Amino acid sequence: MSPVRIALNASLLFIAFIIQESVISRMHLPITGFSLYLAIIVSMVLLENRIGAVILGFVGGIILDLSPSSQSPFGQWALVLTLVAYLIAVNSESVDEIISRPVGLGLFVAAGTALSLALYLILGALLGESNGYFGRDAIVIAGNFFWTMLFAPFFMPILIVIRDVTVGARERI
Amino acid sequence: MARGGGNRSRLLLVILLVTSLFFITLDLRGVSVTKGSRSVTQSFLAPIQKGVSDLFSPVGRFFSDVKNFPSEKNKVEALASQNARLKSQVLVNKDIQGQLNQLKGVLDLAGRGGYRVVAARVIGHGSSSTFSQTLTIDAGSADGVRVDKTVISEHGLVGVVKSVDAHSAIVLLLSDPAFKVGVRIARSQSIGVLSGTGGNSFALQLLDPAGNIVVGDTLFSNGSDSNTPFIPGVPVGVVTAVDHSSSTLTQTATVKSYSDLANVGVVSVVISAPATAPRTMINPSPRPTVTVYVTPTPTPTPTDSLSASPTPSVSKKATK
Repeated sequence: MSPVRIALNASLLFIAFIIQESVISRMHLPITGFSLYLAIIVSMVLLENRIGAVILGFVGGIILDLSPSSQSPFGQWALVLTLVAYLIAVNSESVDEIISRPVGLGLFVAAGTALSLALYLILGALLGESNGYFGRDAIVIAGNFFWTMLFAPFFMPILIVIRDVTVGARERI
Repeated sequence: MARGGGNRSRLLLVILLVTSLFFITLDLRGVSVTKGSRSVTQSFLAPIQKGVSDLFSPVGRFFSDVKNFPSEKNKVEALASQNARLKSQVLVNKDIQGQLNQLKGVLDLAGRGGYRVVAARVIGHGSSSTFSQTLTIDAGSADGVRVDKTVISEHGLVGVVKSVDAHSAIVLLLSDPAFKVGVRIARSQSIGVLSGTGGNSFALQLLDPAGNIVVGDTLFSNGSDSNTPFIPGVPVGVVTAVDHSSSTLTQTATVKSYSDLANVGVVSVVISAPATAPRTMINPSPRPTVTVYVTPTPTPTPTDSLSASPTPSVSKKATK
């Protein structure tokens, strides 16, 4: 992954972060909120090779750690998303057939989002944070899973187009 | 999709994980660099959130309005019947009003120590991906808002200021799992701790083993040392369910907030409290002094049928 592409992806993630913090978080969606940012980062990771995915996960985590509403220590999201990005990059090769279909892709992205949230909660509990009732957290994760699966077919094609435009000829091989 | 880089990717993974752990350690040790980065983001995001708030607030309410439509319809019917009943009570209340006016004069004594507040508009809500329950308001340090100040709405306690920028501030809501406030039950004056749960209800735990909680009990904030972060006497919520299990030493209960935290639009930040807490103001200060007025009034006294001399009368008037 070239430095130019890292900067481009980081800019794209930052725009998604602003939309998440300013628009999406104001919409009181039924069940619970929807994290567009997490959905986008999981989708972008899915399109990268292992090294690109790990870098993207780390950069995306750092941006999410900048959220002023976050109560967690700076670096918690970076740790979680680096790990999730690596897991996705390693396993995406074996599920190539599933993610080639829109429903399978939506499910995979939603599962990645849910895994990120679950790991975030587990790490938070290990660091001594108060995460509220387990039932409530489970609803938040399930709600995010549902909304991500529903919205993934809308933003995934846009991300694929952006990637095709920005990726260099050498990286395409 | 290009794949590859087995060993290199693993090495990179380890390096980035260690870097993340390094950041977490720095943050937990209170290094200001990481805290400063969030306040920079806040000052950058606040104007955008303010603009988006004006533009998207009708869309944001759309989903909650649709969701609450059946319950709102029932609420209107219930309010219509309640309105008819209240109209008949108005006549009875006229007599009580006279007594209330006298009582009000007494209560005004306690209300003289008013709090200075700054009104603010809610311009953003916490992201669902952080699991934290927060609000962003459009008042900041330039308006006198400081960290650890109590935030109230028209109905009662909303939360406490967590971080402040020049023109915006983040408020940690009562519903956040990390939120804890000391409360007092109005009926029994027992004290307890109210904790956020991440949802619409809160958990109350009494500190007094002999104390008891009843459904419908009203809770007020108990206040903190130097009124930071909480001022005393702010309505917090009402008890909706009591846990009668004998497994805990003290009684616990579920509480519903007076404030509608999900839809709160305008809040007030208490920027300064009175020098003395209202509950200790038994005697007004300064004490009333007695001033004597001597007014010579010609009052003819028929002591003598032949002469009438003017005699001065003395009247006392107490003024503050």
